[in-house]
Amino acid sequence: MSSSGGLTLAVPSKGRLEELTRKAFSSSRLTIARPGGVRSYVGSIKNQPQVTVRFYPAAEIARELILGGIDIGVTGTDLIHEASENGEDNVLFVRGLGFGEANVVVAVPDAWIDVQQMVDLADVASDFRARHGRWLRVATKYVNLTRRHFAQYGIAEYRIVESAGATEAAPASGSADLIVDITSTGSTLAANSLRILEDGLIMKSEANLIVSRTADWTPLRKAQLEALLSIMGGVPPGISTLL
Amino acid sequence: MKSSSERYAALVRLVESRTVTRVTPPLLLPAGPFFDLAGEEFGRNLLLTTANNGVEYCLRPDFTLPIAQGYLDDGMVGVPAAYTYLGTIFRQQNGFPVEHEQAGLELLGQPDASAALDQVLTFARWALAIYDITAPNIRLGGVGLFEAFLEAAEVPPAWRARIRHRFGHPEALSRLMERLSEPRERIGVQAPDGRETMIEIVTDAMLSGGLSLIGSRTPEEIADRYLEKQALESSPIPERTVKLLNDYLAVSDSAQRALDTIGNLCRAHGFDFEEPLFQVRNHAAALAALSPKADVIFDAAFSPRLDYYTGIVFEMTGSDGEVLASGGEYDRLIDRLGATQPVTASGCALWTARLEKEANL
Repeated sequence: MSSSGGLTLAVPSKGRLEELTRKAFSSSRLTIARPGGVRSYVGSIKNQPQVTVRFYPAAEIARELILGGIDIGVTGTDLIHEASENGEDNVLFVRGLGFGEANVVVAVPDAWIDVQQMVDLADVASDFRARHGRWLRVATKYVNLTRRHFAQYGIAEYRIVESAGATEAAPASGSADLIVDITSTGSTLAANSLRILEDGLIMKSEANLIVSRTADWTPLRKAQLEALLSIMGGVPPGISTLL
Repeated sequence: MKSSSERYAALVRLVESRTVTRVTPPLLLPAGPFFDLAGEEFGRNLLLTTANNGVEYCLRPDFTLPIAQGYLDDGMVGVPAAYTYLGTIFRQQNGFPVEHEQAGLELLGQPDASAALDQVLTFARWALAIYDITAPNIRLGGVGLFEAFLEAAEVPPAWRARIRHRFGHPEALSRLMERLSEPRERIGVQAPDGRETMIEIVTDAMLSGGLSLIGSRTPEEIADRYLEKQALESSPIPERTVKLLNDYLAVSDSAQRALDTIGNLCRAHGFDFEEPLFQVRNHAAALAALSPKADVIFDAAFSPRLDYYTGIVFEMTGSDGEVLASGGEYDRLIDRLGATQPVTASGCALWTARLEKEANL
């Protein structure tokens, strides 16, 4: 299929992300059609027969972009960094789309008045096990980002507790001591009496138009990519030369 | 000229020599002990698999831990033991699974720790000789030496722990040293009179945040650390001690010269450090005698990240800078695994494929 051309574009399959992605495309006169409604996972773009649209969960879009299973996708920067240790090396961030903004942050219980910065956390982690007979526990769904950030600050003495949802409740429920989570306004954290560390910002994330570097880019497909991006606008020409 | 298979046969003979016991821990091991021992940073390199009951296992990432665990489980504490191994380890490297073959020696519970370390160095040296590597670059580091140095330099205990903890992590350590060298601003908030009040405040904050007062950090612990932090800020390490620390950490030179430099630094600072240095000098001399052509460096800031290392640590590198052998003393390991009495431990691991590559240069 790749030799005969054609592009696969992955769009988040549900919720506000889907809605805003489709809006962003239609404002560039690229109307995404999803003929089967929410239960269908294949769609198309009007007047762009060479593009196949697939509807995937945002995390899966990140994985597929890294592996080269899809060519172009819309997903959060955080998810690319999280999906694999060197995920960002395998994709090209074309441009931010101005929605889905959120920060991945380290947050501790507000009652930890002695912990303001990552260095404090390093101190706490270093003798936590001697005091409590277990490692300091960090609840998060961002395993890779957390490991990278903590390693940067020389923190090795902790364990990650993977949490699928409601990470912010982990300290109160006793399943972890602190969290790494995504937040847009910080209100959920505050409501759970959690405080972001002064240098606890791991990354700023937003929905991005992303091209896979690992996909099989033939000259024809590169040309098709350039054409599509030029319709999208806001992207300098020649992106495909970076692939 | 030996062939590759002759070299391998010689390595097997070394690993199976009469004074040691060759052991082969299982390939599939519970992952928990590795996480418990080395934390998340090492844990990220494990190749994990999960049993249907949710228990995590990993492919053998290293021999030291299962061998030490076996020593404990067999009730050997207090008995001198010499274990060797030769086999495959599995890890994740740059996001991909890799397998390597390692050979090595673990000396546990030896009555003379210093002699044990020399045996380890000799073992590594012999292994390298099998591959005709007679002039490796040898780097020595002193974990115990640094701990002794912090004490002798009269660094306040609370700072000592913070500094020691970052030893072996150049980035974190230099950040801390920077923080020490800069004139600090005072913390804005002053502790309202005393510990009891602080504990009250923290307790209230924890309860209103829905936190349990037990199970994680306690109000006492938080209040104490808060007060300690204030005390540290108000009694910083004297500038000349910070300079001494920085000078110490910057020492990296041929062993003899490096150790002399450290001795002189300490003397200039008004204390005698010859006794702790003596041990390191001896081992450096032993190494020099073992391989006269080798380049033996003492690097004061060199330490593996794993905090169960205690005494002297070393690594031997080949012509392209890859580590061929590394090891040292790690008395804290068996203690960490739950031994009821102190057990000395030292050992080394060798990367056989790298040795073979070096032999073919």
